Amino acid sequence: MTDNELRIGVYVCHCGVNIGSVIDVPGVVEYASKLDDVVIARENMFTCAAPGQNAIMDDIKNERLNRVVVAACSPKMHENTFRNACEQAGLNPYLFEMANIREQASWVHPKNPIRATEKAKTLIRMAIAKARLLEPIDKEKSSVKDKLLVIGGGVAGLKATIDAAERGMKVSLVERNPSLGGNTARIGDLVHSEKTGHQIYMEFINRIKNHDNVTILTNSELTNVKGAYGDYEVTIETKPRYVKPNIPNPEEAIEICPVKTLNEYEYGLDDRKAFYKPFKGAFPDEYLIDIDVCPKERCNKCVEVCGEEFIDLNESATQVVDHFGTIIVTIGYDPYTPKKGEFGYYEHPSIITLMQLERIMSDRVMSLGTVGASDPKNIVFVSCVGSMQDPNIEGANTYCSRMCCSSSFKNMILLKDMYPNANLFFLYRDIRTYARRDELLYEEASKKRVIYVRYRRNAPPLVTVNGKVEVQVYDQLIGEDILIPADLVVLANGMVPTRGYDRVSELLKIPCSSEGWIQESHAKLRPVQLPSPGIYVGGAAQAPRDIIESVTSASAAASKALIPIIQGEVDLEPMIAYVDEDTCGACGVCITTCPYEAISRVDLEDGRQIARVDARLCAGCGQCAAACPSGAMQQRGFKDIQLMSMINEVISK
Amino acid sequence: MAVVKPKVAFYWMGTCGGCEESVVDLAERILDVVAAVDIVFWPVALDFKKADVEAMEDGSIAVALINGSVRNSEDEKMGKMLRKKAGLIVAYGACAHLGGIPGLANFHTREEIFQKVYIEAPTINNPKKIIPQLETEVNGVKLTLPTIYNTVKKLDDIIDVDYYIPGCPPHPDLLMGAVQAILSGNLPPHGSVLSPNRNMCDTCPLERKEDKIIMKKFKRIHQIIPEEGQCLLEQGVMCLGPVTRNGCDAACMKVTMPCRGCYGPTDEVEDMGTKYASALASIWEETDEEDVIRMVKSIPSFAKMVYYFSTPSSILKRKKMEVIP
Amino acid sequence: MTVEIIEKAEFEPNILMFACNWCSYAGLDLAGTSRMKYPVNVTIIKTMCSGRIEPTFVMKAFKDGIDGVIISMCHEGDCHYMDGNYKTIRRFHLMNNMLESFGISKDRVMMVGISASEGAKAVKVITDMVETVRTLGPIELGAD
Ligand SMILES: Cc1cc2nc3c(=O)[nH]c(=O)nc-3n(C[C@H](O)[C@H](O)[C@H](O)COP(=O)(O)OP(=O)(O)OC[C@H]3O[C@@H](n4cnc5c(N)ncnc54)[C@H](O)[C@@H]3O)c2cc1C
Ligand code: SF4
Ligand code: SF4
Ligand code: SF4
Ligand code: FES
Repeated sequence: MTDNELRIGVYVCHCGVNIGSVIDVPGVVEYASKLDDVVIARENMFTCAAPGQNAIMDDIKNERLNRVVVAACSPKMHENTFRNACEQAGLNPYLFEMANIREQASWVHPKNPIRATEKAKTLIRMAIAKARLLEPIDKEKSSVKDKLLVIGGGVAGLKATIDAAERGMKVSLVERNPSLGGNTARIGDLVHSEKTGHQIYMEFINRIKNHDNVTILTNSELTNVKGAYGDYEVTIETKPRYVKPNIPNPEEAIEICPVKTLNEYEYGLDDRKAFYKPFKGAFPDEYLIDIDVCPKERCNKCVEVCGEEFIDLNESATQVVDHFGTIIVTIGYDPYTPKKGEFGYYEHPSIITLMQLERIMSDRVMSLGTVGASDPKNIVFVSCVGSMQDPNIEGANTYCSRMCCSSSFKNMILLKDMYPNANLFFLYRDIRTYARRDELLYEEASKKRVIYVRYRRNAPPLVTVNGKVEVQVYDQLIGEDILIPADLVVLANGMVPTRGYDRVSELLKIPCSSEGWIQESHAKLRPVQLPSPGIYVGGAAQAPRDIIESVTSASAAASKALIPIIQGEVDLEPMIAYVDEDTCGACGVCITTCPYEAISRVDLEDGRQIARVDARLCAGCGQCAAACPSGAMQQRGFKDIQLMSMINEVISK
Repeated sequence: MAVVKPKVAFYWMGTCGGCEESVVDLAERILDVVAAVDIVFWPVALDFKKADVEAMEDGSIAVALINGSVRNSEDEKMGKMLRKKAGLIVAYGACAHLGGIPGLANFHTREEIFQKVYIEAPTINNPKKIIPQLETEVNGVKLTLPTIYNTVKKLDDIIDVDYYIPGCPPHPDLLMGAVQAILSGNLPPHGSVLSPNRNMCDTCPLERKEDKIIMKKFKRIHQIIPEEGQCLLEQGVMCLGPVTRNGCDAACMKVTMPCRGCYGPTDEVEDMGTKYASALASIWEETDEEDVIRMVKSIPSFAKMVYYFSTPSSILKRKKMEVIP
Repeated sequence: MTVEIIEKAEFEPNILMFACNWCSYAGLDLAGTSRMKYPVNVTIIKTMCSGRIEPTFVMKAFKDGIDGVIISMCHEGDCHYMDGNYKTIRRFHLMNNMLESFGISKDRVMMVGISASEGAKAVKVITDMVETVRTLGPIELGAD
């Protein structure tokens, strides 16, 4: 056998009856066996099962195959299975190609066996054409720094941090806010738990606050990310608090501070001072000054009360640069804020959002009296505020936020217990109590005689404020308009991607959906991975999720993110781009094209410049190969000639 | 002992004559060439007749350098004849190599071109609307003309070509290099293009300001006063340098003119026009589809620009005609 | 029955479809796993991102006698490699402009976003395209 003699083995799968009942598998095998360079063609009942794989491995050894083509299911199912089989038999796994004759032929053309069979032949011809031109790829390796970065300190981030730290890994947790806990920390009774959100949060905090492996950086954000898989060099900026820990007389300082601003930690229910602590039970349990609202010519009243050694109004931000092997993104969500006038929001104190109600119900520090509804007779919940919006409207949130129904039920039950004589109205589009225990809440609320009113998307309830609040709605089920004088209106606001998600996406080069949710590589097959290797995602940053789903995915992300660190060395994406340095004239088109900044100009010894791909940064998208005007840039596994050879075989010659 | 000098033929087909000029651009080096070879055919310069060549033995000419595109039946006949007589055929210049500027005719039909050239052009005075005929009688004598083809072809569409010397016209160094290679017998693989297989930016003297090139608007060179010394792509000018192989010594860019692609693409690129479109789309930032459409529409004759010298060597070669005569 | 009989029947267009790995290829797989049906005329080539697809491939397809080409990608903003599909959009429109110069109907090419969950959309896209191209008839290129 000469070195470049091609010896191709073709394996056509019956997949039980899945392929075999439509496609004439023996006919296809017969056809394939006659194609150039094919030395063996076989059929298998289940190629992915042991006997099928063994046949391939035996043939590689005995027939000295140097290319393998399997015609079976989608490569998404078993490409890796077969690549591994090739590798075990001593064949480079990238000398393997798959033809998808199940998802793309037998399953979609069951009524047309003859032409489906012809199509299977075409797909095999194309796969063989590409296989002829495949080249072995040696997987490149990169060493991995033994530290994990978690971005966002909500329940998801906390869970990922705990999981990693308790497995002995060094973790840095970066939180933008002055306190940890995200949204959960501020929720009271939870839908799915006997514990309150705050209790869950405190349990997490207790497990990490003194943990040797954990570095907590609150009031901090990423400002720069360099490097690549295995060694991300991250710059983290910590904003000053201006206030030292253990400050004397903090409450007095709050008292004396003249500046008031809307309290974002209470979702705008009340005001706080420029000198403040985020919320009761916040961690870290420390005070800070909101310098953006503190007047430019400082009044210095707080300094007078607490002393100069404890307050430094000129303190500046600090930056640290650290190296991380892997990164987990858990930046969560923001509750949707209704626009002014949307269902009467901002027009009357007793029209509040569900998140605001959560705060009221959570602390019981505040009562419904705070919003002018101390003894409500009629309480109206409006569902799907900021969710399931009309897709015809530009920028609409068309998705379901998934938590608002259940959370509304939970709160309606609590309210009914507090005010047994109140009437509770639930104005809904659709009731989606999808989780196991949520359905029970629905039942319980029904027993407590919540009045359900179904409204249409194009006829939303009309909330009017005329001294008193009235809700007018067309009830789709009884076909009548009804008018409810309301003492309290709760707008069940959904979730939106957290502000600044785009900055995170840009820094880490991770994709987001058009709404702004961070998008995993594949919802089912790679649910916590991202295309940028070594970066993972969890929690409500991916989509509206409850705490259970958030911590589960965060846990999954933590275990995935630990693998490379534990291994200390990782395989880089094999199907990456590379430059033929002789042909490249350093035009720079690829450098502009690459979304991962994986390509840079390099000076050669002879004075020429060329472009070079950093294998650690390349995600293998192939955009640069399409762009390169000299043809110097090619993508392994998707080279011009490989793709052209496939096109060439679409029509049988 | 008399040394038998290799016989060389020059021939021109559908061409402007610039390629012939470029031979003269060898300046004093032409004397070395003339001393080393025996020129047996060169219609533009020497008085040999077609019949003289026809009378030669097949294969007796060492090398025939042919410039110009295949525009008519005469070109085809001559090309085929020279192929028989010559050991090596060199497609000389952009027209023979890629089809050249005459190849732009492939975006039209022959009839459209006759109409334009012989009837509509503002400089034409042709009241009888006469267009070229294959045969005509003048004073009882029958005159014939070769058939002008509907489709302009490049040389290798009609005969096997051994080497290509690109350019409109080729840089004299390339010709000199080729002559030396042929004389020394140190020949590259059959079918090679005898200029560096690398894109123009490699030798371009213009400087980049940024590492990334971002195009916001597309301009033609006449629409701006270019900044001397700065990369033209950066200035929004659709320079074809990135998709063009070098060897011309960056002649245009040296005077801040954009590359128009006369050297053709590198060996790796099958179609320089589509490749340029792909590259251009990659360094252009617009994301709104409506704006993309608007901007594409704003480019006059995009296809003719990217295939300025290479329409017959594009994948699709010519426009689909409504009527096939 | 033999291939000959098939050839004598009504014109059956050959459609080539490019699909990016993450969204559209997954959407096509979903059409398969959901046992939806679409015309057999379409053949699929996968790239990792639609940003790998070049106008050259489309020209080559037409040259080879393929009657229509579908370029499927992730929805705008959803590309798994950040912005690959925006490059596709721009390449597509520049290419359309060139196709027009070559006298090829723009209806022979189609660019579409198909997400991993849009199996039904994939089916509709293919079905519609096959019908469009069937009406246009076999591809004809400029002849000498
Ligand atoms: C009205 C309502 C009621 C709910 N009730 C329940 C319930 O009863 N039970 C239940 O299971 N779930 C409930 N949920 C859902 C629950 O709030 C979420 O599942 C949970 O908070 C998600 O946790 P997370 O950590 O992913 O996100 P978050 O809680 O949003 O935390 C994200 C954290 O990341 C930080 N961050 C954001 N951007 C950056 C950045 N650039 N850099 C650094 N840090 C950043 C944020 O400041 C925040 O601290 C409710 C949701 C709503 C809207
Ligand atoms: S696009 Fe191609 S020629 Fe230009 S710098 Fe990149 S690899 Fe080199
Ligand atoms: S394939 Fe090219 S464009 Fe894509 S990530 Fe790699 S280097 Fe960048
Ligand atoms: S002017 Fe043209 S050839 Fe020169 S570097 Fe710019 S793009 Fe390349
Ligand atoms: S991955 Fe689908 S378009 Fe880029």
